[in-house]
Amino acid sequence: MSSAWFVYMGCAAVLLFLGLYCLLTMRNLIKLFIGIEILGKAVTLGLIATGSAKNSILTAQALAVTFIVVEVCVVATALAIIINIYRHTKSLDVRKLTQLKG
Amino acid sequence: MMAVQIGLLCGLVVFSLLAVLLRDILKAAISLAVSSLLLGILFFRMDAPYAGAFEISVVAGLITVLFIVTIALTKAEGDVRESRLAAWIFPLFFVVFLVIDFLVMRRLLGQISSVPSSAEAGTFGQVLWKNRTFDLVAQVGVIFAGVFAVLALFRKRSKHE
Repeated sequence: MSSAWFVYMGCAAVLLFLGLYCLLTMRNLIKLFIGIEILGKAVTLGLIATGSAKNSILTAQALAVTFIVVEVCVVATALAIIINIYRHTKSLDVRKLTQLKG
Repeated sequence: MMAVQIGLLCGLVVFSLLAVLLRDILKAAISLAVSSLLLGILFFRMDAPYAGAFEISVVAGLITVLFIVTIALTKAEGDVRESRLAAWIFPLFFVVFLVIDFLVMRRLLGQISSVPSSAEAGTFGQVLWKNRTFDLVAQVGVIFAGVFAVLALFRKRSKHE
């Protein structure tokens, strides 16, 4: 593997950290989905960088395109759920989603 | 050549960091769009034009619009106070993550044998339509699932309910 691949994977690891940090510490529901988006960027960057390093960029692109389509569907559904949650609770605070608690 | 890539990677990390740390959600969403744009340019430079075009048009364009619409629909009283502790533990968490990542990756990368690589034949269209046909079927399924989920979540109540 080339040194460029290590740079790309290091950057993907930093993005992965940022996404995980956002998911673990933030309370705003939209911020949580921004964290998921950043995780998605890390995965896409890892796919394309590895495909480029291994001379299989076409398969890597096909996988990246599939991942982006899945990501869009997840985000659209999740944002629709967030709007419904906001209509019910009048808040985006994830701590207020405890109404189903027994 | 590599300097441009490193500059784009630095921009990608900085704008992603801004997207996480900015308190204003609208600014955070715009930072996320800029980081997607930089990632798309990076894909173009890595000889992956189709992934770059998808990244810029779909992730930087469509998803940003969805985020801004959601922010506009929920802005009125939607401000949430984030934990102050989060800003303090960020550097500590980052250092611990880097150490664990370095140790695990060094051990793993030493064990993984290098797969023989040879240049792929054909075009992107041939690979996508012939080699990854099942992915396309799954994509159609996921798109339908997403559309029906959004329709179900926004359906109007009938008069009898």
